[in-house]
Amino acid sequence: MASRVSLKSKGKSSGGKGSKGMEEKSTSQCLKEWSTWAMKKAKVITHYGFIPLVIIIGMNSEPKPQLYQLLTPV
Amino acid sequence: MAGMVPPGTAMLGEASAAASAKKINDVGKKVDFMNLPCPIPYEELHREALMSLKPELFEGMRFDFTKGLNQKFSLSHSVFMGPMELPSQSAETIKIPTAHYEFGANFIDPKLMLIGRVLTDGRLNARVKCDLTDDLTLKANAQLTNEPHMSHAMFNFDFKGKDYRTQLQLGNGALFGASYIQSVTPHLSLGGEVFWAGQHRKSGLGYAGRYETDKMVATGQVASTGMVALSYVQKVSEKVSLATDFMYNYMSRDVTASVGYDYILRQARLRGKIDSNGCAAAFLEERLNMGLNFILSAELDHKKKDYKFGFGLTIG
Repeated sequence: MASRVSLKSKGKSSGGKGSKGMEEKSTSQCLKEWSTWAMKKAKVITHYGFIPLVIIIGMNSEPKPQLYQLLTPV
Repeated sequence: MAGMVPPGTAMLGEASAAASAKKINDVGKKVDFMNLPCPIPYEELHREALMSLKPELFEGMRFDFTKGLNQKFSLSHSVFMGPMELPSQSAETIKIPTAHYEFGANFIDPKLMLIGRVLTDGRLNARVKCDLTDDLTLKANAQLTNEPHMSHAMFNFDFKGKDYRTQLQLGNGALFGASYIQSVTPHLSLGGEVFWAGQHRKSGLGYAGRYETDKMVATGQVASTGMVALSYVQKVSEKVSLATDFMYNYMSRDVTASVGYDYILRQARLRGKIDSNGCAAAFLEERLNMGLNFILSAELDHKKKDYKFGFGLTIG
């Protein structure tokens, strides 16, 4: 409640100049947020998906190994 | 000292006459500066010295099993049991006994190389090397953990020219680096590097040179972080090479010199070194059978009173 009151008063005092400043700030802020979000997702995808990716690429290379060879020790 | 003739030169008179005749022939041949060989990459400048003087020493028991499913594709299982050292600020070394199992998958192709290793605590170690064109190569290296802010990644773009190589490095935490190395004569190559670390607000510049012949390799590297590193490796025979290394930090006044040997025998490879910090180390890899290797590692640090012994078996 207190924060809402303070934001309203800030908006009233700055007026038009304040709104333009907030828009500029939001595009660069958006870009930073998107890139951080993308890096976080890329990190999680790489963390869980890298070894399966290598295994899939390996199983599809010539000559194709059989599935049981993946699990047996010999 | 200059006037003294080392003994044995009279017996080697014929051999030296033949050698000097060859040298005159070589000098007579003009150096073709348009056709110099491509130099080795900047980060591998100290390659020979590192191979001899810094083997992968470990403490505890290590067991590695690599199973090849294909010419290009293989899986690896690795078990390690032993004390792991924690970095500590005090003079005492803190060791914690750990055991872990590591699973790895490797795909090795001339154009694409993918290596991934995952540990039981969820840490992933990934390396990718991809030849985008004949001259341009992309290399990536990443260590990813479950803990936040502890993951690292580094991307390198390497461009290989006729007698030069350049590399651009991008890392997480706003790390940028670039390096360039050029062959100046058939034996000498010179290079430089520059890096900028955004997180630590540090930047640095470095220069390096490498002189190699059939019998020896001498390298020198200077960096603006205060590091001066010189190394010299002499190939005494087919089986034996000796190496020496000198590292000096002119900011922190730290000096380390080490001397080592590398014996590559038919059934074994033995590397040993001794340091000016009172540290002696040895590493033996013995081939018991086809594909079966036995490894012994020892490191005695007399200054810190830290003695590490390790043994292991590698299959495949």
